[in-house]
Amino acid sequence: MIPVDHYIILSSVLFLLGGLGFLIRRNVLVALMCIDVMLNAVNLALVAFNRGHLHSGPLQTYPGQSHTGQIFAFFVIAVEAAEVAVGLAIVLSLFRLTRTVRSDEAHLLRN
Amino acid sequence: MMLFPTDDYSLIAVILGMPLLGAFINGVWGKRLGDTAVRVMALASVGVSFAASLVAFASLAQFAGEEHAAHVRLTWNAWEWMHTTGGVGNVVPVAVRFSIDALSGVMMLVVTGVGFLIHLYATSYMAGDKGFARFFAYLNLFIFSMLVLILADNLALLFVGWEGVGLCSYLLIGFWYEDRANTTAGKKAFIANRIGDFGLLVAMFLLVHYTGSLDWTGIENGASSLVVTSAAGRVSVWPPGGGEYTGFLHFLQPHAALTVLPATAVGLALLLGCTGKSAQIPLYVWLPDAMAGPTPVSALIHAATMVTAGIYLVCRLAFVFVLSPFTMTAIAVVGASTALFAATIALVQTDIKKVLAYSTVSQLGFMFLGVGVGAFEAGFFHVFTHAFFKACLFLGAGSIIHAMHARIHDGDKSQDLRNMGGLRKWLPHTHWTFLAATLAIIGFPFTSGFFSKEEILYRALVNHSVHPSASRFPKYHFFEPPQALGVVLFWVAVFAATLTAFYMCRLYFLTFWGDFKGWTVGRPSLLAKQELEAEDPEPHATDDDHEAGHKAGDLSMPGYAPHESPWQMTIPLMILAVFAVGAGLLNHLGGDQRPMDHWLEPVFKAAREGAVVIARGHTEAWAQAQEPFVTTFGVLAFACGTGLAWWMYIAKKGAPAARLATAMPGLHGLVLHKWKIDELYDATILAGVDSVAETSAAVDKYVVDGLLARFTSLLVAAAGSILRALQTGVVHVYGATMVVGLVAIGWFFATPHPNATVAETGNDDYVVTAAPGLGYGYRWDADGDGTPDKPDFSPDATLKLHVEAGKTTTVTLEVRNAFGLVKSRVIQVAHARAPIAAL
Repeated sequence: MIPVDHYIILSSVLFLLGGLGFLIRRNVLVALMCIDVMLNAVNLALVAFNRGHLHSGPLQTYPGQSHTGQIFAFFVIAVEAAEVAVGLAIVLSLFRLTRTVRSDEAHLLRN
Repeated sequence: MMLFPTDDYSLIAVILGMPLLGAFINGVWGKRLGDTAVRVMALASVGVSFAASLVAFASLAQFAGEEHAAHVRLTWNAWEWMHTTGGVGNVVPVAVRFSIDALSGVMMLVVTGVGFLIHLYATSYMAGDKGFARFFAYLNLFIFSMLVLILADNLALLFVGWEGVGLCSYLLIGFWYEDRANTTAGKKAFIANRIGDFGLLVAMFLLVHYTGSLDWTGIENGASSLVVTSAAGRVSVWPPGGGEYTGFLHFLQPHAALTVLPATAVGLALLLGCTGKSAQIPLYVWLPDAMAGPTPVSALIHAATMVTAGIYLVCRLAFVFVLSPFTMTAIAVVGASTALFAATIALVQTDIKKVLAYSTVSQLGFMFLGVGVGAFEAGFFHVFTHAFFKACLFLGAGSIIHAMHARIHDGDKSQDLRNMGGLRKWLPHTHWTFLAATLAIIGFPFTSGFFSKEEILYRALVNHSVHPSASRFPKYHFFEPPQALGVVLFWVAVFAATLTAFYMCRLYFLTFWGDFKGWTVGRPSLLAKQELEAEDPEPHATDDDHEAGHKAGDLSMPGYAPHESPWQMTIPLMILAVFAVGAGLLNHLGGDQRPMDHWLEPVFKAAREGAVVIARGHTEAWAQAQEPFVTTFGVLAFACGTGLAWWMYIAKKGAPAARLATAMPGLHGLVLHKWKIDELYDATILAGVDSVAETSAAVDKYVVDGLLARFTSLLVAAAGSILRALQTGVVHVYGATMVVGLVAIGWFFATPHPNATVAETGNDDYVVTAAPGLGYGYRWDADGDGTPDKPDFSPDATLKLHVEAGKTTTVTLEVRNAFGLVKSRVIQVAHARAPIAAL
């Protein structure tokens, strides 16, 4: 069995990649995707912890019955879907308004 | 089972409700209803109210006849209004409760009766005015307010009516609001009345405090507590309400506090209220300016309503006033001086309404003099007769102005006596009614004014001062006016009566005798030929014709003679003239029969009981012996004034008057400008208020706006320009900032925070409690050896210690969080030595 540590390392790397991408990339669509990567990194961590806890930890008395992490992951997916829906709508309106999807050119508030 | 028992006399609802209904309908739908419906509504409401008043009066007379000399009241309780707490801790209910007794019954008849005649008159006088419906809505509301005032069973409800008439007078005086002078006059009336209202409010609070009641019966029962013989119970006037001035205000502290009897405080406060409403010195200034309103309004304010409210209140609370001889003296002095003062101004005025206005002020002075010397019946009887002859005079003046207005459109010029003369030829009805009212006001023998004025003069002479008898308050020495006061008051009143006769006859002669000076009166046949197309053969019968008359503008051209007013205006004049002459008989049927005095007797019984009114050292017989003397001088006053006016304005055609005016231009100008009292008020009180207002405005402008507001805005602007630099509008910067913030929060939660509080529990014991945190474990080093007391971290966050006085223990706290990070802090637990109490 793959130890939990590996999942955690993978999750952290994904989260960092997403965060860096969000901060560095100027394309709003890519920024949205980066956010999704971060959320999915968290999902991975949640599911991994859930699985790890099945074999060690306080919930061991109910083996195979604890799904908290997984259910949390579903919640995150639902929120993610909503976020993407709203985010894409914002991107569309932004494009209509400024004919660009570059975030550094969207500074209407400033000017 | 009676329809209207005395304690639930709901007919009052009709008396009160009809004018209110009329005001409501005319006020809300008047414009849409049209003038005819407005006229019918206004007349019907007051007419029905008058009819109901007659019924109520008749049943009051019946009840009064059944219970001899008892104070019968017909009461109607509309609803409970509120409760308050009296001075002795009792609950004072304030109900919307109305009552009719002998006094308010007469007033009610006068208000609705004379009010109805004035309404009838106004339907013709105001015809064609664009504010016709508004006018009648106000007029009905005026009647309603006045009825509330006189029918109220307690002071609080009376105050509602009191304010109501103040409001209506404001609305009606400024009725033609396009003219600035009218609105100014309205405001002046309102503000002068407000000053008086302040007095009435203070009196009301004092009465609740001292008598523990606000309704008439309750005040009457508790009136004795207004005479407090102990020093503590007196009302402190200076310093206001007692207390002491300290610090830099110390110079305001008197050597001995100025205190007055509660009865005097109440009486003087009420007097202030009455001077405002009844136009006495010093608050009379609004009444002459109230002429700015339409003439029927002047008649209503001056005769039936409003100005009589002050006298009514004095009569109503007579049992309170008699407890304070000082107040009674003050009322008499104020009344006499107002009577004389206003009469002097009326001597030289050239505006017909101004003369009448000052005559009202003067006559009100007579009434105040009457009630001030304890002759409440006489004072009230003058109110009663005055209502008829003054209404007749004002409506007559309105009729004259109406006639003059046919060709002179300027308001001031059409009211100027110098443009009139010889009008008796063309205005026969107006002439004889005006003459009748003039005879009444100047005291022509056996007219109503003669009787009522005579009574006041007589009482002024024989009544020394009104004060409670020695048996009622045996230990208390009341204020005593000087012995000569009665004589002085009498001569002042006689002189004022002479002046009254003079200026009223002057007014009458200048208006109706001599030559007409308004315009050249052409021969009707020639005029008819000239204006055959425009004019109606039946002159001045309809409104259209009236309009045509108005078009003839050029006064140098000959025009039609002034015309008599239509019947709606002359009929009220005739009725009022009959009463002006004959109303005196209601109290003087010959011999000792005094039906009016007898009728009012129960009302003033409480005031009479235990009060002394005959001059000190004299008897009733002496007083009666003075009667022929007073009558002689009363008639002499009338004869002198009338004779002088005849000689000046008829025999010599006004030459002596002109000579006098040129001989003493300074005095003449001063009197013509009303002794410059308005200017005096402007220069003192108004200027004082203005200077305070201007100072406040300057502080607002330069300190609040200039300094504080500018400094605040600068501060905000500076902060804004700094913060603005942070708002780049670039999403990435916001994202990065957010990440930095998140990292900072994460770092805060990832590190342990070894905080602790020390608490003393007594007996030199201390408890050190470490702050809680997520997954925290604690390890203590309390013995100071550098190594922890226990090797393991425990979730126990407290450490108990014993520290002797004057010692200090050093504790090291180590905290480990869920991530295994450890941090420590050194805590000093010091026990300060208790201070040595005594050596």
